[in-house]
Amino acid sequence: MITLRALTKRFRETTAVDGLTVDIAPGRVTGFLGPNGAGKSTTMRLVLGLDRPTAGQALIGGRPYRELRRPLHEIGALLDARALHPARSGRAHLSAIAASNGIPARRVDEVLATVGLDDRAAAKPARALSLGMGQRLGIAGALLGDPPVLMFDEPVNGLDPDGVRWIRQLSRSLAAEGRTVLISSHLMSEMQQTADWLVVLGQGRLIADAPTAQVIAGGGLAVRVRSPRPTGLAALADRLTAAGAVVEPGGTDELTVTGSTVERVGELAYELGVPLHELATHEASLERAFMALTADHVDYRAGAGGAAA
Amino acid sequence: MTTIRAEWTKLWTVRSTWWTMLAAVVLMAATAGQLAIYVANGNTNDDPGDDAGVVPVGAVLIDSLELVQYAVLALGLLMITSEFTTGTIRTTLQCTPSRARVLLAKAAVTAAVTFGLGLLLGGVGALVASPVLGEWGTAPPAGTFRDVVALAAYLALIGVLALGLGAVLRSAVLTLTVLLAVLMIVPLSLREPDITALHRIADAFPGEAGHHLLAGDGQPYPPAVGLLLLAGWAAVALLAGRAALRRRDA
Repeated sequence: MITLRALTKRFRETTAVDGLTVDIAPGRVTGFLGPNGAGKSTTMRLVLGLDRPTAGQALIGGRPYRELRRPLHEIGALLDARALHPARSGRAHLSAIAASNGIPARRVDEVLATVGLDDRAAAKPARALSLGMGQRLGIAGALLGDPPVLMFDEPVNGLDPDGVRWIRQLSRSLAAEGRTVLISSHLMSEMQQTADWLVVLGQGRLIADAPTAQVIAGGGLAVRVRSPRPTGLAALADRLTAAGAVVEPGGTDELTVTGSTVERVGELAYELGVPLHELATHEASLERAFMALTADHVDYRAGAGGAAA
Repeated sequence: MTTIRAEWTKLWTVRSTWWTMLAAVVLMAATAGQLAIYVANGNTNDDPGDDAGVVPVGAVLIDSLELVQYAVLALGLLMITSEFTTGTIRTTLQCTPSRARVLLAKAAVTAAVTFGLGLLLGGVGALVASPVLGEWGTAPPAGTFRDVVALAAYLALIGVLALGLGAVLRSAVLTLTVLLAVLMIVPLSLREPDITALHRIADAFPGEAGHHLLAGDGQPYPPAVGLLLLAGWAAVALLAGRAALRRRDA
């Protein structure tokens, strides 16, 4: 269990994390979602006591990180897979970590096997490791102490599709063992497939804390309408907009409608005499839900525009 | 103890440690040999003005340190600055959140290794210098032993000083620059105007304290005071390093 209470971190003028209060519960994969610069990594660094919070608290199993005596038995984390001494081998890196927390040396072999690094790869100096192998090494380090809480920052970065699938399976099996698993990502499609629960961050603030399915549903069910008659579709779009629905045209022969129902759209089309080639509901994507969520945060949009410029 | 084992593992699993130690040994052999040649030449040439007479081999070792100490300082400061350069400091603090424990473990490893290296350097230097000095050198066992132990203690303490300073400054180049200033440039400049008060201040600097520890001349204070002063400098550097590690984001 990770507990954040009014956690705040300011760097000079910018507020990276702004009054974040949330619990990351055990037994499920929690996706920590937000665009780059939303404050995900800073939050993780605050949890690990690497940064000092400006205000508020981050607790692991009820205690701040800096008070943990053998922290690797409480929480394992992968922050930056490239933070390795270039000349030290992966195995030596893990041996030093193990030694620091009194973890027996045979655990090093066990976690190397778990993450799929063979003896040859583990003997290489870190500078010779690919980013993907570095990620695996970092995860091996996080697993060394067999901790009940795991935290990975952008673990799929630089991984090939096999690696991505591997992370997904590993996270799920760790959560199935009853552990707390927190995975950050700016890739919504990835989170949609991996996370049971989502904590969404925008500009350091909590935007959503809900089951993945619910966050996605928050984007509303979408209705797709296709018709060969553009004027008819335009008339349909006008009526729907007037009724408070959101209509996005998709080319000349297609509309995507949210905030209405498939029945209502069908009845309206019948009323207007518009011939339809398709009328179907489909689940909104996390992308759409995320847009809907952040649209309410005017600050966020302005900030995102500024950051991109 | 676990933190010390981790630091020990980290130190010996990078090649630069071995290279730095090898550099120190080679530097010692070369400098001790050269200084011994100067002594022998000074005594045998036609100019009586540079006759040094018979010198103890320990004196040659001590003079050699002026240069050799920088290789040993590098060992101490790299213990921490390399962690900031590579980002492994975050892993280290993740493993051991207590900044004091991390720094104490690093200090223990640094002191042990640089003390051992100091003994080795003393041995190597004596082996090279003695035959070169020949009839112009003496190596009384007790005196030489005392000189070698004092030399090792000096290197261990400035090694820890370099470590503490490195924790504050985070950059290897900056740390080495400050060390050069503190060990040599500042005390030399203070002596320049020849004012008693400034001499007293210069005497308190770590390089000078080391000099009085090694020379054992009792002027202006006995070697034991030199040792205490050095230990004080090392302790203050460690405290400053701990404060910096605690306060600043890693």
